[in-house]
Amino acid sequence: MKNLTLLLICFIPLYAASQDSKSIDYGSFTGAFGSQQGSVSLDYFHLWKLGKSKKIEIGIGGRFTSYFGTSQYYSSAPADLVVDESKSDSVLLQSPQVNALNIAINLGYRISSKFGVGFNIDALGFSFGGKQNGSYINGNQGQATSAKPTSFNVLLVGNNDKGSLNSEFYVRYFIKERLAVKLAYQYLFTEYTTDTKIQQLPEANDRFRNKASLFSLGITKQF
Amino acid sequence: MKKLLLLFLLGLVLSCNPEDATPTTPANDVFDETKATLLREGTWTGSGNYTVSGVAQIYDDNGKKILLLNNFSSSNGPDLRVYLSTTTSATSFVNLGKLKSTTGKQTYEIPDGTDVDQFKFALIWCQQFSALFGKSETM
Repeated sequence: MKNLTLLLICFIPLYAASQDSKSIDYGSFTGAFGSQQGSVSLDYFHLWKLGKSKKIEIGIGGRFTSYFGTSQYYSSAPADLVVDESKSDSVLLQSPQVNALNIAINLGYRISSKFGVGFNIDALGFSFGGKQNGSYINGNQGQATSAKPTSFNVLLVGNNDKGSLNSEFYVRYFIKERLAVKLAYQYLFTEYTTDTKIQQLPEANDRFRNKASLFSLGITKQF
Repeated sequence: MKKLLLLFLLGLVLSCNPEDATPTTPANDVFDETKATLLREGTWTGSGNYTVSGVAQIYDDNGKKILLLNNFSSSNGPDLRVYLSTTTSATSFVNLGKLKSTTGKQTYEIPDGTDVDQFKFALIWCQQFSALFGKSETM
């Protein structure tokens, strides 16, 4: 899926320009919630309508996501530590709060004048937020630590992603010609970097990631 | 728009996932103190508004180190753990497990290699919210 995403980011504008395509803009405000965590996001996408019936909507845009949680565990983020659970340690943060601004891509399909479905994912951007205190936990041992949101976000292949990235599978129902209600499943990565490389084994590591599965509700305005 | 916001707030409330409180049925772990060697001992005191009382004792039981909570009673709370720690703020700690009960005699095995002289504080610690419920400095 991520390979496809990267290809889309590179080729969407070129492909769209080469087609006899119309374009459309959407802006959404979305609130998402899960177990002791949630997010609000604001996005804006420029989409090209492709295909014979112009029902395929592909495009790029930007998204600001603000994540907040209570007592959330963050696991070792580097790919080689993610693959083997025995190599993964965790950091428990009491009040994680991450803000991320990312370039994102969207792939959608307009089923009818009332319904649309689609997928979008953040690809590149940056994050910011305050320092958080927490506990580093390695098996039955632990120690106090503090961490800040990882600054740079980038979507890569496999488990090599860095930073905080949001993605959604959504369904839109147009309640007016240019106004829709959006229901979505949101999969949101947030990442913190500890002040020191607090994990030492099997390798030194300071990056820890939380993967949140959230259900969201939003409103979309077509421009 | 207002309905949407209300729905979102309702979702947030419903999504709260409070950890189960600690069992209150008195624990009664079998441990014969007369057959083990007492290494360290301290008295429990509560922190802030929390009440914790009783005795914390660390025994050597045929090479296994055991933390014994005797005549023990604690305020209840979510995700309560028993820690051995270098300080009362859990700067560096060993997690001995979830608190079995808010009352009664209970034992916790201390992992091999734990230096009980260094980890001299026994703590009742709410891991979920990083809150100290009670402490005992063992000597």
